[in-house]
Amino acid sequence: MSAFVRQAMVVARRDFTAVVATPTFLLFLLAPLFMILMSLLGVTGAAQIADTSQDKTRIGIIAAQADGPLLVAADRRLRNVLPDDLQPPKLDIIPQHGGQSAAVAQALLALPDPNYVAVLYGPLERPIILKEGGRRSAYLATLAEQVLRDRKGGVAPGAMLSIAQTADQKVQTASASSEHATGFAAVFGIFFLTLLLAGQSVGMLAEEKSNKVIEILAAAAPLEAVFLGKLIGMFGVALLFVGFWAGLAGTGIALSASFLTLPPIAAAVGLPAFLLLCALYFTMAFMLLGAIFLGVGAQASTMREIQMMSLPITIFQVAMFGLSSAAAGAPEGRLARFAEIFPFSSPFAMAARAANEPEIWPHILALGWQGLWVALTIWITAGLFRRGVLKSGPGLLSALRRKR
Amino acid sequence: MTDDRPVWAEGLIKTFGGTTAVHGVSLSVPRGMIYGVLGPNGAGKTTTLRMVLGIIDPDAGQRALLGHANPREVSHRVGYLPEERGLYPAMQAREAIAFMGALRGLDWATGRKRAGEMMEASGLGHAVDRKIRQMSKGMAQIVQLLGSIVHRPELIVLDEPFSGLDPVNQEHLESLVRSERDRGATILFSTHVMSHAERLCERIAVIAGGQRRFEGTVDDARGLLPMQAHYVPCDRAAEAGTMLPSGASFDGRAWRFTVPDGGAETLLMALISAGHGIAGLTMQRPGLHEAFVRIVSDAKQADVAASA
Repeated sequence: MSAFVRQAMVVARRDFTAVVATPTFLLFLLAPLFMILMSLLGVTGAAQIADTSQDKTRIGIIAAQADGPLLVAADRRLRNVLPDDLQPPKLDIIPQHGGQSAAVAQALLALPDPNYVAVLYGPLERPIILKEGGRRSAYLATLAEQVLRDRKGGVAPGAMLSIAQTADQKVQTASASSEHATGFAAVFGIFFLTLLLAGQSVGMLAEEKSNKVIEILAAAAPLEAVFLGKLIGMFGVALLFVGFWAGLAGTGIALSASFLTLPPIAAAVGLPAFLLLCALYFTMAFMLLGAIFLGVGAQASTMREIQMMSLPITIFQVAMFGLSSAAAGAPEGRLARFAEIFPFSSPFAMAARAANEPEIWPHILALGWQGLWVALTIWITAGLFRRGVLKSGPGLLSALRRKR
Repeated sequence: MTDDRPVWAEGLIKTFGGTTAVHGVSLSVPRGMIYGVLGPNGAGKTTTLRMVLGIIDPDAGQRALLGHANPREVSHRVGYLPEERGLYPAMQAREAIAFMGALRGLDWATGRKRAGEMMEASGLGHAVDRKIRQMSKGMAQIVQLLGSIVHRPELIVLDEPFSGLDPVNQEHLESLVRSERDRGATILFSTHVMSHAERLCERIAVIAGGQRRFEGTVDDARGLLPMQAHYVPCDRAAEAGTMLPSGASFDGRAWRFTVPDGGAETLLMALISAGHGIAGLTMQRPGLHEAFVRIVSDAKQADVAASA
């Protein structure tokens, strides 16, 4: 092992241990759990409110006694066809008495509980639907139409003329839309993880600067090795985090496999290669963005400055996500090519490409290209740090001239 | 640039934002020696040491560390205690020492083992597993020094190692420096406290105003100033002053004066002939402190004259 790599690994080990062996790391590790719990609480609360409101909401039909069973049967059939989120409110059949239907309908609509939002009355051939402003009345109209058709065809209430059988068949060829969806999921997954994990590197040199350890590090090892070590250390933390949650998610999926149907992962390069490429692109995204954050954060002198720098960094990350998402949606376009070549969006966009295109060689090329940019970013940011903090070294241009 | 000169530098120049911090400093430190770089605050000592170690690059001049033009290549053979002390507060002392050794190429297990032994030898055996933040400043400073020598370097560079230490820890640090020299290491340290340099250094360089103003042994430096005589006459003590060089001072019993360039023999003979006799006489060189003050003030005058 070269001295450079060995020194980087010493720094990485120190940083990894310093982060992991603290009680606060447990909070960090479990942070998504809190997020999930809060989301579940929110969703449950919202669902309860919606259910309560749904329970009290009604639509009504004031109908002759003979039409009642036909309307109930037609309602049942139509509800079976509609998905859950398009289900209309519960239907009440109100028996018709005399010629006061219009007044009854108005009285029903005025009731606070149950809350009628629409009431149909009158002959089914020419019904009148009284409804709250903004509500749709198509369902009640369709019910009336259906009952008339059933009556005309002589279909008894609840009788089925056609009884269908269904059979599932696995489709071997993935559709383009499912590949696009997988590509977008990969972009989002890598973005989310880097947003959560790589952003941490912005304050990584703050400790060294405030504790004056930086001079010891600078005397013992090249700053580039120190920077690389810090990135590797944080990447180790990220892997631990991802491993923990991937393990939990895997266990959860395995336990719920019998009653949970997951959407299929459709990737043009094949699932094993896709997963491997996603892992590699996550590594590259972490290293690339982490190197930028580390370098930018290294210029800050105080925690306040670090906090100030976090916002533009996050905006930059979101911009890379937006670019790559657009590329995932239109993998053949020029924008996709640009996102794949631009070094800081390349890991995201190439992960999407792995879902959409079967060729492997562009990925080998892209990984090399991204690796080059990781090295370049570390070199530039370490140089900036050397001049900013240690007040040494030539300007960037003269350094470049010297390299030539 | 030879291997018997672990530190060699010629004409080092460093400028920060238009201010020249170091202007043409040269150093040549013989192997196995305790060598002091002395200078007032802001003289350029730290910048010189940083350039020698390769932490920063000089704008001009040449340097070699342990015979290598690129100091980075031999960083594992060098130990360095910077002026601004720094350790990770949450680290245990043993781990901090092992970490610093690991940075210089020592494996962690050996580093931990040696850390325990060294702390025991330094009287800090009870604190090996204590976190740095739980230690006093002096203890933490000793831990940092142990961290800079745990890999048994050939060259040890200490920047103001005594600052912030109480007399007991200063004494301990001095003995640690001597034992490292006895082990065969070359020690280069900077200070502006002359007593340490006088006790420890075999050679010194004085830097002032970014330039080297003196290089030689401590005796060489003291030799820059004339001998001082402390003379007690037998009879008519006050009248003896008329025969002494100008500037002589009398405390009612004894005279103090600077010995003339030609020596004191002629003067003493004259005093005896005049009947003053010699009840007591001591002659000694001034200390390094006085020599240092003279070198630095001469340097200031020279700089003023040059700028005028």
